Amino acid sequence: MTAVLEAQGVSVHFGGVRALAGVDLDVQESELIGLIGPNGAGKTTFVDAISGFVRCGGRVALDGFDLAGLSPHERALRGLSRTWQSTELFDDLTVRENLAVASRRPSLWQVAKEMLGDSAATSGEIEQALELLDLGWAQDVMPGDLSQGQRKLVGVARAIVTQPRLLCLDEPAAGLDTGESEELGRRLRALANKGQSMLLIDHDMGLVLSVCDRIFVLEFGKLIASGKPQEVRGDQRVVSAYLGGAAAEVSGP
Amino acid sequence: MAATVLEIEALTAGYEEAAVVRDLSLGVGEGEVVALLGANGAGKTTTLRVISGIVHPMAGRVVLAGQDLAGTSISARARMGIAHVPENRGLFFGLTVAEHFRLGHRGERLDEEAAYRHFPALAELRDRRCGLLSGGEQQMLAVGRALARHPRLLLLDELSLGLAPLIVERLLPVVREYALESGCGVLLVEQHIQLALTVADRGYVLSHGELVLQDRAEALRGNRDLLMASYFGERATATLEADT
Amino acid sequence: MQQVLLFVLLGLGSGALIAGIALAVVLTYRGSGIINLATGAIAMLSGYAYWSLKTGEYGGVHFATAPALLLTLVITLVIGVLIEFVAFRPLRTASPLAKLVSSLGVLLVAQASMLLAFGTDQKPQPTILPQGTVKVFGNTVPEDRFILAGIVIGIAIVLAVLYRWTRFGLATRAASENELNAQIAGLSANRLSLGNTLLASVVAGGVGVLAASVTQLDTVSLPLQVVPALAAALLARLTSFGIACAAGLGIGILNSLIDYFSTKSWFPTDQGVPLPGTKELIAFLIIVLAMFLRGAALPGRGELVEQRLPEVPRPHNLMTPAVAFSLVCAVALVVLPFDFRQALVNTLIGTVMALSLVVITGFVGQISVVQLSLAGASGFVVSHMAVDAGIGFPLAPICGSIMAITLGLLTAVSALRVRGVSLAVVTLGATVAIVNFGFINSTWGGGNTGSPVPEPHLFGLDLGPRSAFRGLDGSLPSPVFGWVALAVTVLLCLFVAAIRRGNLGERMLAVRSNERAAAAAAVNVRNVKLLAFGISSFIAGVAGSLYAYNFGSVSADRFDAVTALALIAFAYAGGITLVSGAVFAGLISTEGLIPHALDKWFGINGNWFLLFGGVILLFTLIQHPEGIAGAFYKRLHRSRRPGGRGERGSLFTAKTPAPAAER
Ligand SMILES: Nc1ncnc2c1ncn2[C@@H]1O[C@H](COP(=O)(O)OP(=O)(O)OP(=O)(O)O)[C@@H](O)[C@H]1O
Ligand SMILES: Nc1ncnc2c1ncn2[C@@H]1O[C@H](COP(=O)(O)OP(=O)(O)O)[C@@H](O)[C@H]1O
Ligand SMILES: [Mg+2]
Ligand SMILES: [Mg+2]
Repeated sequence: MTAVLEAQGVSVHFGGVRALAGVDLDVQESELIGLIGPNGAGKTTFVDAISGFVRCGGRVALDGFDLAGLSPHERALRGLSRTWQSTELFDDLTVRENLAVASRRPSLWQVAKEMLGDSAATSGEIEQALELLDLGWAQDVMPGDLSQGQRKLVGVARAIVTQPRLLCLDEPAAGLDTGESEELGRRLRALANKGQSMLLIDHDMGLVLSVCDRIFVLEFGKLIASGKPQEVRGDQRVVSAYLGGAAAEVSGP
Repeated sequence: MAATVLEIEALTAGYEEAAVVRDLSLGVGEGEVVALLGANGAGKTTTLRVISGIVHPMAGRVVLAGQDLAGTSISARARMGIAHVPENRGLFFGLTVAEHFRLGHRGERLDEEAAYRHFPALAELRDRRCGLLSGGEQQMLAVGRALARHPRLLLLDELSLGLAPLIVERLLPVVREYALESGCGVLLVEQHIQLALTVADRGYVLSHGELVLQDRAEALRGNRDLLMASYFGERATATLEADT
Repeated sequence: MQQVLLFVLLGLGSGALIAGIALAVVLTYRGSGIINLATGAIAMLSGYAYWSLKTGEYGGVHFATAPALLLTLVITLVIGVLIEFVAFRPLRTASPLAKLVSSLGVLLVAQASMLLAFGTDQKPQPTILPQGTVKVFGNTVPEDRFILAGIVIGIAIVLAVLYRWTRFGLATRAASENELNAQIAGLSANRLSLGNTLLASVVAGGVGVLAASVTQLDTVSLPLQVVPALAAALLARLTSFGIACAAGLGIGILNSLIDYFSTKSWFPTDQGVPLPGTKELIAFLIIVLAMFLRGAALPGRGELVEQRLPEVPRPHNLMTPAVAFSLVCAVALVVLPFDFRQALVNTLIGTVMALSLVVITGFVGQISVVQLSLAGASGFVVSHMAVDAGIGFPLAPICGSIMAITLGLLTAVSALRVRGVSLAVVTLGATVAIVNFGFINSTWGGGNTGSPVPEPHLFGLDLGPRSAFRGLDGSLPSPVFGWVALAVTVLLCLFVAAIRRGNLGERMLAVRSNERAAAAAAVNVRNVKLLAFGISSFIAGVAGSLYAYNFGSVSADRFDAVTALALIAFAYAGGITLVSGAVFAGLISTEGLIPHALDKWFGINGNWFLLFGGVILLFTLIQHPEGIAGAFYKRLHRSRRPGGRGERGSLFTAKTPAPAAER
């Protein structure tokens, strides 16, 4: 069976800055993978690289298909969906329309049909995504009127609504408190159990250590550890570079 | 208790016609760290926005060191010594890290070295444009810049947002010491409740815009169930310890 | 070779003028995020001030040079303060487009008031700089060219240092990026913006006074120098003073060289005269090339995003207003007196023109100045097909629209890597190039006189303005043509509204909001932009054909750069994000119903109308920064705005909504 995501030797340079230096990472079918590391380690850059927003060296394959040369929207069409650390919603559209943009992939023909009054049947995807994150109440609200955590969740909903092969979440729990992030964790876990493959970046160790199947740890653009949560938590390098006392506080899954 | 820096009396505020914060009263003393807690959308950010003048109150007063702030502009409040680290970090993407520390208002000199002391990682990023920084690096810059201003009142919205656990662990005690040493009052919004309560002197819990619980930090920390319940809007009936 | 050098050196003079204005443009942009179209007009105002002081035109006192200069400086500062408080400050948090439009208002007011005060004839501006000559490699060159260039270069260096190294420069950069954040940091955004506006006024005004020997003092020359100056500023990314100065000088030299080459026998000609518009075409191509090399298909990490345009609510009920509008207009076209009938037809065509902007600017956020030229191109195609080939309705308008779409897509391809106000400048360049190279040309354009357009016929029926049925008062124009225009307008309005309701509209708005996020949501940003450019060019092309039939001729002067900018201004003031806004825009467009009524009932016309129009434009923007239609919409729907209290919940607790608040 081929991996959902197979990244080999991914490296990224910005002028003189080396943000990623040959990172190998794989995500298997219905796995929930964590990606952690100190600030500036290159986690977001990794997601930018695989989703086509920055140019990278190495090989990135989705379901065995090499993504080299594809533009961001083509990668999204192939099933690589992502959220943004800085949320990045469409501020001119309501929450529901934000999801609708992502959920439909119309051809020119469908656009023409829609113009003639044949409004495309709204599939249940939007409802499902809204329900998954309890955002039904907010569907007609403009994103600018939401609080930070609420906006984050809209971003997650917009990424989920496409029913992607791989879902990359960049700090979805930032701005959520402990209880809320636990609840988000439960829902993400349930999603993974239903077969959704995910790559989760977050600094909330309670969340990452408790829901992920495997965890990769980056530091200065290089992998310094990977493995099951317990292994990573016990790794001395990870503790000194990143976890600190958090390793001790969080109880295992 | 030391002299109060900030005093909020019966504050009601919100957006358009809707009140998001209702009848809130709280105070922050000199050298004191006060945690403002509550679930998402409870109105914490709104409260901080009112204090720094971004949102106008519908009713109630905000008093800084004995002076009513009604009618004072945002920038004038900042010059009076309020340093606000807003939810969006309040940075300028087009300026480099170092330039952020040259950006004081008239007559103000920012203590750049202090910021680098608290966040050594920043020193190496001196000449990088802020827009290119990672999320956590931006947060370090935002907090570092606020500390470098030596304010009278520090408003920290989501202090640990995007910061690695190790950094958060080091940062919170720094805030604690900073308040004690400089005598500045700190109003702290922080999602890691337990962490926040280890460094705070007192805590207030908001739920749906209303104050439901206030107490000394140890007391709140010790009573997790009450705290969780209050998050979901049950007004605490427990006796409030007198905050002396 | 010596000749070439001579023209290079002579070009320094006009280059210095362009460079000076370009510096003021960059300064204003960095200070307050405004593309100030009135920069050249400020130079003109100072020029007139100095002239009247020197010659004693007003007050009868002949001032000596030094006091006249000093007083001119004071007047320039006062003008700066006025502009800041009337046009810039009220719009500080508005979108860059709103600011652009308000600066156009300033331009109109300045031009009109000078026309009223001094008339159209050129004034002999007394020179200040020494009038000697110097010999360079055997050429005799006036020395003021060098002095002027030297002064401008000096200003550029001072500004660069000021912005790079002083607290003022740093604070300005911060405040113009994010005003709220600047205030939180304790900076007074108001004072910074005023400081920059004053500085820019002094630079522009100084250039206007000093450049007397290289330009004329009238109401057109100096104000229009802003077009090449904008090109220079754009090459400097609206930030670098050094590059803006160099590019300005370069453009001046290039123009001077083309003047020289056009005297050569090998230079292409059009009916005996050197091919018109080569300068503009070359300038446009340089801009496009520079933008292409520099821009990116998607904005990068941490790139600044401009302020949002007004919101674009989803239209609910389409049929009722469409039917009502059609009925009222159809009847009015019969019963109104002939002049109002004509004004109504003009309004309808203006509405279609504005609709094309609703799609490209309102929905996709791309500020395109070129739409009016596309309409013009379509009109010229209709005219030439009839005159040269005898092909008429409906094939000619179809070809006209195809022409408009082709030119529109060409502009779009060159503009795909440019966004926001930069795009406005690129498309302004395209407009100038199309008008000068295409429309003024007497072979494929209309020359100086224009090009005739015969009546449209279908199945032997005359559908044009001279059709047999003449309405109640029996005079021209015929209501029949009005009905055709009405049908087209209503159909296009419904079409544009349907776009907003469908998925295409959602994707357009997604692109407008955030191109990176749109790409991540599987939206093909490039295709959406191209499609939008195509649709809006098509609409512009239709407007152009209507226009051609309406006037019975097409000529270049109806499509010039200022008219193109005025079109955007009307569209913005009407409400650039709404179909109803396009109708408002039509009402106030040139020769539309409202201007006609003002002329007829209050005698406001000519320069007074220009002045009045400018003032009304500024006033409308201050009152309703999102346009008239937007303000109406807000008033109607305020109570229905979703997300009011009681509907909110916190995260994951949707079943326990917040208790309702006391209002
Ligand atoms: N375009 C760029 N030019 C220069 N440096 C860049 C650019 N983009 C990112 N960087 C740098 O690359 C490093 C990695 O950034 P990245 O955003 O991937 O970090 P991260 O691991 O996501 O950190 P955080 O946890 O703080 O979000 C950072 O030091 C950042 O400043
Ligand atoms: N600009 C705004 N306009 C309208 N409503 C807003 C705005 N900002 C926040 N809100 C609403 O006000 C409530 C409180 O928000 P906020 O103060 O940001 O909460 P917190 O910071 O406690 O998470 C939320 O329900 C949010 O949706
Ligand atoms: Mg990141
Ligand atoms: Mg908040």
